[in-house]
Amino acid sequence: MPPQPPPSTAGGMQELLEQLEALEKTANLRSSIDDVQKAIDLLTAARNNIAEQPQTAPLTLAKLQDPLKRSLEQAQKDLKPIYSGLNKYGKALDKKFKDKPLPSASNDALSSHPQLINRAIAMHLLREGEFAVASTFVQEANRHPPHPEPTPNTPNPALNEPWEKDLAEGTLNSEKLQEQFVEMYHILDELRQKRNLGPAILWARQRSDVLEARGSNLEFELCRLQFVCHYAGYKAQSDDLMEDDSEIATGPLEAWNYARREFVTFQRRYAGEVRQLMGAMAYWPNILESPYARYFINDAAWEDVATSFTREFCSLLGLSADSPLYIAATAGAIALPHLLKLQSIMEKTRTEWTTQNELPVEIPLPPSYHFHSIFVCPVSKEQSTDQNPPVMMPCGHVIAHESLHRLSKGGRFKCPYCPSESHPKDAIKVFL
Amino acid sequence: MAELTTTKLNAESHLILDQPLLRTPYELSRRNQKTAQRYVENTNKDILSNLTTATKAASKSTAPDATLASLDTMISKMQGLKRKMENLHEEEMRIHKSNRARLEHLQDLYEVQSLVDVKYDEWSRIRLSRLLVDYLLREGYSESAAHLAASQGIQDLVDVDAFVACHKIEKSLREEKSTTLALNWCKENAKELKKQQNYLEFQLRLQQYIELVRQGHEKGIGEQKLMEARAHAKKYLSNSGDFGLIGRAAGLLAYKPWDEVEPYASLYSPTRWTSLATLFIKTHHALYSLPPRPLLHIALSAGLSALKTPSCHSQYASTSGTPALSSSTTSVCPICSTELNDLARNVPYALHTKSIVESDPVVLPNGRVYGKERLRVFNEGLGTERGWVRDPGEGLGGEKWRESAVRKVFIM
Repeated sequence: MPPQPPPSTAGGMQELLEQLEALEKTANLRSSIDDVQKAIDLLTAARNNIAEQPQTAPLTLAKLQDPLKRSLEQAQKDLKPIYSGLNKYGKALDKKFKDKPLPSASNDALSSHPQLINRAIAMHLLREGEFAVASTFVQEANRHPPHPEPTPNTPNPALNEPWEKDLAEGTLNSEKLQEQFVEMYHILDELRQKRNLGPAILWARQRSDVLEARGSNLEFELCRLQFVCHYAGYKAQSDDLMEDDSEIATGPLEAWNYARREFVTFQRRYAGEVRQLMGAMAYWPNILESPYARYFINDAAWEDVATSFTREFCSLLGLSADSPLYIAATAGAIALPHLLKLQSIMEKTRTEWTTQNELPVEIPLPPSYHFHSIFVCPVSKEQSTDQNPPVMMPCGHVIAHESLHRLSKGGRFKCPYCPSESHPKDAIKVFL
Repeated sequence: MAELTTTKLNAESHLILDQPLLRTPYELSRRNQKTAQRYVENTNKDILSNLTTATKAASKSTAPDATLASLDTMISKMQGLKRKMENLHEEEMRIHKSNRARLEHLQDLYEVQSLVDVKYDEWSRIRLSRLLVDYLLREGYSESAAHLAASQGIQDLVDVDAFVACHKIEKSLREEKSTTLALNWCKENAKELKKQQNYLEFQLRLQQYIELVRQGHEKGIGEQKLMEARAHAKKYLSNSGDFGLIGRAAGLLAYKPWDEVEPYASLYSPTRWTSLATLFIKTHHALYSLPPRPLLHIALSAGLSALKTPSCHSQYASTSGTPALSSSTTSVCPICSTELNDLARNVPYALHTKSIVESDPVVLPNGRVYGKERLRVFNEGLGTERGWVRDPGEGLGGEKWRESAVRKVFIM
């Protein structure tokens, strides 16, 4: 067989793993312990000898001298391979991390806000469903409130702003939040494991107004899935399709009844979809060959509603659907190599980072880590802020407010991107 | 020009946060080996001299009892050594096992090529749990730390025991104002501390002296305590070479704790115990190659900045990534979420050199910009009458406009 080509990730932790294996297998205390046991055996044999024949004591002891010394020395000698094995391991470790310094704490803005970190952690634990850990933590943190430490931006953390004081005293209303996440996990569990839409539909129905005002389709999506379940003869808590399709079509009948009962409220917003679902009635029992098949054979549907449920649930609490702590820590790990590179360049060139409000380098993140639209003025290349918002000229091109003023000097001016001319007062502020 | 977004994962440069993960078990292994060496050396010397003595004694007298007794002593000493070595061996194997788990965990990252791979997601979640346990341990929340580690099954990837031991000593300094545990620790690590020229032990001895002097002054009958203090200073402080400090320490004999005369008042001050505790932690972390700050701080500081945009703390509602306003295809921004919003207030925001907007942007008469497709989907979900549009940021409660009032906007 031809030898396997080396994997593209050659190196990795392989060298360290090999060194560790040597330590585990041979270079450990085992052989020294055996040497110690040998010494004990020698001593015990000598002792027994003398106990039996007391007159031989001087001779026995004299004879003991050398072998005992040897086995004791051996015990010491057998420690050496551990020492050299660890040394080799240490060198490999240094090599592995040679160009990866431990990040310094130079831009640690967080030490002055331990209460906020604690709150973020408690919320993270709750939203990840680690309820027991969360309650241990909230109790422990209440018993031992953290000590804020000064940082450059907050030199006097003792003079906490009120919102931080509130947190320090109440830490956070974790019980209420926990109740909510317990509810969320209960509903998700019913959805994913038991294929029971009931609790989710109830939850959505109770919040119908808010969800509708947000333009959310959640309630309808849930009910549509329920309709499909009835139609296909799914029963909550059992995955069996009803097999007796030769008899009366109980499934479609139930679905029909369900639709008449529940779809009234959806008539206005989802008239089209409802009509399609009802149209499916005609195709029983050949639904899978019908144009409606996509509604009925869609395993992803359960995961989809679970995901949109989680998103709506968290949004109504003002929270993002994935743990912000997770996203931020991950983004941080992605950003660190870039920041460290910058740091070393700045040290070399003895420059300082002049823009306090903005990072001096661009950090490439995966697109899923972009949450807001970003406006960078094509004229000044500056990012828009509340003080310098984007404005749209009558031609539809957008530049930053400051750029507009610089270009127009108060009078009519030509758009830098098309021939049209306008007056600054015709530009309108836009929001991204 | 640098790429603006990337999904490529370079494991080699991604491991910046993970050096301590491997350093700690390495330091622990070394310490373990040194302890074993010390035990063996000491016992060997002891046993060989015992044997010489016994041999000499046996040649002089014929009574076997004494010989037997000294052999018994030697045997029990050797058995004691063996027991200690067995314990160290167990510890050694435990450290190796946890080290192996760590190396394999890091090796896992080399098998992932992309930041959007589900496997990276799983790996990163384990990393977050590790960082959280590390943070909890440093803050002294050991119960929570152990609980989280057990619940996530990552006991091998975190150093609960090392931190618990460290905190016990720190607490004895900070709260019980006792130097015993800390001095024991210094003795165990004497060699390494000497190499680092650490002055923790000296500071602890100085504190002992200060306490003796304080008692001497407070008790009235303190002449004896003051004598003790002098003897203590002679034994432990006099060869430090810091004559200024020794002079000040000697001055304590003349100034009483309540005299409030500097520099003596600050030597008497109870805050010295807090600084001792801090100094101990610093020394401990340096010895075990633990970074001085929680890694979570480092990861979060970088992450908050990388994600933060001017919109996250703007007084105007953003049309994207905002929680309660509208249900849409964009997810809620983590920096806007309650957990991190206040925390991110003081960090700089990310640098961008190019606009990032939805495709086909249009502007509503109120100036708010949306992707055309998202606006359509939203209004369909809302059930807006045909020919009209509503602002997703305001929903049913807001104004509605004719579709013709929606304009195309050019963002370059």
